[in-house]
Amino acid sequence: MTVISGNGFKKRSINVDTQAMLEIAHKQGIPTVWERLEAQQPQCGYCNLGTSCRICAMGPCRVDPFGDGPQKGVCGADADIIVARNLARMVAAGAASHSDHGRDILETLHHVGEGHTDAYTISDPAKLRRLAAEYHIATEGKSDQQVAKELAWEMMEDYGMRRQQLPLSLRAPQARQELWKKLGVMPRGVDWENVETLHRTHMGVDNDWVNILLHSARNALSDGWGGSMLATELSDVLFGVPTPKMSQVNLGVLKASHVNIILHGHNPMLSEVIVAASQDPELLALAKAKGAQGINLAGLCCTGNEVLMRKGIPMAGNHLMQELAIMTGAVELMVVDYQCIMPAVTETARCFHTKVVSTFDKARFPGAEHISFDPGRGLEIGKQIVRLAVENFSKRVPERVIIPVQPAPMMTGFSIEAILQALGGTPQPLIDAIVKGNIRGAVGIVGCNNPKIKQDLGHTELTKRLIENDILVVVTGCATVADGKAGLMTPQAAEKAGPGLRAVCQALGIPPVLHLGSCVDNTRILVLAAALANTLGVDISALPLAGAAPEWYSEKAVAIGVYVVASGIYTVLGVAPPVFGSPNVVKLLTEGLEGVFGATFAVEADPDRAAALIRRHIEKKRAGLGLEALDPGSIPLPEAQLALA
Amino acid sequence: MKTVLIHPERCIGCKQCEAACAVAHSQSKSLFWAVFETPPPKPRIHAEPGLLLNTSFPNKCRHCNPAPCQMACPTAAIYRSQDFPEIVQINEQRCIACGMCAVVCPFDVITYHASPAAPERPLVAIKCNQCIERQRQGLEPACVEACKVGALAFGELNELLKAQRVRYTHAVLAGAQAEETPAQVPANVSAWRGWGAVVAGLNEDGKKGV
Repeated sequence: MTVISGNGFKKRSINVDTQAMLEIAHKQGIPTVWERLEAQQPQCGYCNLGTSCRICAMGPCRVDPFGDGPQKGVCGADADIIVARNLARMVAAGAASHSDHGRDILETLHHVGEGHTDAYTISDPAKLRRLAAEYHIATEGKSDQQVAKELAWEMMEDYGMRRQQLPLSLRAPQARQELWKKLGVMPRGVDWENVETLHRTHMGVDNDWVNILLHSARNALSDGWGGSMLATELSDVLFGVPTPKMSQVNLGVLKASHVNIILHGHNPMLSEVIVAASQDPELLALAKAKGAQGINLAGLCCTGNEVLMRKGIPMAGNHLMQELAIMTGAVELMVVDYQCIMPAVTETARCFHTKVVSTFDKARFPGAEHISFDPGRGLEIGKQIVRLAVENFSKRVPERVIIPVQPAPMMTGFSIEAILQALGGTPQPLIDAIVKGNIRGAVGIVGCNNPKIKQDLGHTELTKRLIENDILVVVTGCATVADGKAGLMTPQAAEKAGPGLRAVCQALGIPPVLHLGSCVDNTRILVLAAALANTLGVDISALPLAGAAPEWYSEKAVAIGVYVVASGIYTVLGVAPPVFGSPNVVKLLTEGLEGVFGATFAVEADPDRAAALIRRHIEKKRAGLGLEALDPGSIPLPEAQLALA
Repeated sequence: MKTVLIHPERCIGCKQCEAACAVAHSQSKSLFWAVFETPPPKPRIHAEPGLLLNTSFPNKCRHCNPAPCQMACPTAAIYRSQDFPEIVQINEQRCIACGMCAVVCPFDVITYHASPAAPERPLVAIKCNQCIERQRQGLEPACVEACKVGALAFGELNELLKAQRVRYTHAVLAGAQAEETPAQVPANVSAWRGWGAVVAGLNEDGKKGV
């Protein structure tokens, strides 16, 4: 693992901008996530295998995976129970994160309905009314504000305990809903399922590992068809339904001549007002007076994805770029909301003139300036933050500014509404292309970066293998930045696709890799899958679809993986989840779930092998639908390339 | 001769041996108090990572006889007790931190830290003393007690090796006779290590993606 300089940085990332910044970090002695990973080696095998339990004070306990040492915790829990409880708590934490994000957006809609905000309005009244109809709210003759008020009030009940089924889950095909009912995993309330997971995994409650995991599926579904979906839908209502547009990606989007503000985190509420504030004439004049040519915004992580999708704000990078972006020396201010913001960020910022501003009272960062966000006076706060950035421009040290690359172009903005519009109003052309075999199927590549995997290697190589083989790829989250930087997300990238997919993309003028948004926007994939299944009159599990999280790291990714599989979509994980300590849980996740949800997980770090597994799966599903299909066994599974082979 | 035999294929990198070692050599002998001690207690066993993700090796003093460190020490700070002559120990009061013992140590397991046994010196040589105080009380070394995966085994060297030989014999015969017998490393642990090997392969310089 020892990596010092030069070629060593190519072990850490495929990206030129990352490698250049790592060289600078090394020269200036600034530690990064990669050094911290190295310092953590070896990482605890019990925790890695999922067989350590810290749930109660009779413990902590661990189970010897070799079978000779203790096989049960003090309470009597074996590896199966311990692994299941730990996994369930990961899912709950992930679902809670998405859903609490959704709650903040819902609260904003409520403020709009009550008329308590100057910063937000209904940007898409049509979508507001479509949603209201789904919640059986009469909209005729009512103002947008009134509809917003009633919808918000009704949606708050999704977080409560009066429902037996979350209304948005009615979007799933009938067969899928029947299955969820039969299995007892129909999501009822967003907070309810999270709390019940915490209850069930307390010592001495649910001691049946299968039963724990079944509830965990319900918990994840309450995220996918609840909290996350609500976050996406209401963000569209408040900030606009994304439409296709060109933008740019990589560290080159920072401008040496401008005041640079990075928007980092996940919640678009604040960044939307910063976008507005950055166009304020008074602040622009101040920037000019300070010697800057203007105010430049750039996104990072999923806040970046949100403003990229809706506003075309360029994207500086994904998860592993957060420290490196600061090291360009060109960032006046990084405004953070919540999730995936490394505590290390403020420490890195202290080596530069960069100010970090935290904005949510639930997410404080020692070393950051905290400006408590209040939707009631959003624009005022937005201006206050932009002013801080502009004033900080004079503290920039020009000699330390290094922007190592030119930005790469990428296309963004593919909401489901936009995709349907590109297709002429119905999913039928997409279905026709799949039926004819021009497009073999579609795959969602989602999720994070993880320094254990060479940055963006998993995302980009898998994407290339799939589009080469006429499989349409949709991306969200960090995968977006990876594929965008690799030049896979322009209409010209159609040339990199197989002949069938290439022709479809060229006819529509779209890339072979479509950007669907942030990580809560994985729910757009569910909506699209449900629409395809409903049009064909089949369940989602019958469709030639798959999911992949090649470089995942977070609990949120675990929740996403579980709701995707529980919705009937086969999913390949590039990073081993902490379950290998229980052969029973592994067998259930990788084989047994086929008989439960009609979909399973697979773990495969090698993108070439993951692509082969996915292609085999897609051909199997094509055959199942009676479409022309290859023999899955005829698709070769390449040998893994081992370092010491 | 009683010793700690290491089975590297069993080490899963939890570092519980390191924590238990530091506590056993602390002043309070309690994890919860040890973390507040000055100087902070240091481990004498070191679980370092292997080349592949998810592999590691707990390295400690092998108590050589003759011991190169003992022969190289210019102040005769390295000695053996009469009751446990197989254990190589350091008299920290005599140590001048010249580093000679570390220079000649074949296993690089001697480190230099402040010690409550020599409060007037900034640094002295620190290494495993096979938990001689615990052994005098009839206990096994703390690292061995902490290891729940059997990567560390304490006992008469030849008996430990015989136990290993017997396991190995079973495995060989099982292979020859296609007999059902538990493998040395269970399939789920192999799969987890296999994932680590694939990741290490992917990240190898120049192979992919750059």
